Amino acid sequence: MAAAAASTPQGVTERRGIPAASFVEDVESYLRQARLDVNSGLAFLQERLQQYKIVEMKLLAQQRDLQAKIPDIEKCLDIVASLQVKKALGEALTADFELSEGIYSRAKIEDTDSVCLWLGANIMLEYSCDEANALLKKNLENAKASLEVLVADLQFSRDQQTITQVTIARVFNWDVHQRRSKQATKET
Amino acid sequence: MQQGDGAEAQVTWEDQQNINRFGRLNNRLHELDDEIKLAKEANENLDDAGNELILSDEDVVRFQIGEVFAHMPRDDVETRLEQMKEDAAKKLERLEEEKESILAQMVELKKILYGKFKDAINLEED
Repeated sequence: MAAAAASTPQGVTERRGIPAASFVEDVESYLRQARLDVNSGLAFLQERLQQYKIVEMKLLAQQRDLQAKIPDIEKCLDIVASLQVKKALGEALTADFELSEGIYSRAKIEDTDSVCLWLGANIMLEYSCDEANALLKKNLENAKASLEVLVADLQFSRDQQTITQVTIARVFNWDVHQRRSKQATKET
Repeated sequence: MQQGDGAEAQVTWEDQQNINRFGRLNNRLHELDDEIKLAKEANENLDDAGNELILSDEDVVRFQIGEVFAHMPRDDVETRLEQMKEDAAKKLERLEEEKESILAQMVELKKILYGKFKDAINLEED
């Protein structure tokens, strides 16, 4: 997958559903080819910019979720590892846990052959410690891989926003320049 | 880009890519500032924990693993804490190095872009 910095002219035309903003070589020919006057051109570009911003918001929300999920999985791996260590030593694990907000109780965990994992959707399954380790590690890898892809998506989306913002400024400036030249020729 | 008088230099694809790169670096810089702040807090917390451990004279310490507080012998806790402190310090160092590198790259890009566009571009934080 071309995750290169190049967007257009010789590169990616879209990324996972996000269209690339086409780079405008020359404002005048761009407007002529698109058959747009300056105001329509600016309106079109502004709308595109808004769409990119909406995509960015969505991606940021997904990124936050993943960034919260990863430490949770790591904590789970930590505790499964601790249980396995204790089992190897033949000792029970004594732990203080929260019974309700502000109320703690003590538990002595002796049989450490298995743990129960919360899979979501109100389902909890019992796994042996080894199986739990494998499952949690796989989930962690998947989460990290998804995060990487997401970050690349975000960078792409922001690049397209930047391109669009620059194009808007250039179209506007071109228009100002045009008006000034017309004004100048009128006055001579 | 600024709303200029229309008589400035033309923007090439290379310029656009430089501008995009500057934007990406700037975004990463803000993220890094947040991450560095969190890493510094984590380091401080670990230092405080270490101090508390030294002050206390209990043999069994309640050490947080996941959502529970496991009872662990004092020595084990000391070892774990040392390891955590080392990891946290390394992480902070890594983040600060990345920040240095990004700042340097941004300085370079500013030179290039201001060189070509002068007033027509604004790369400062508002």
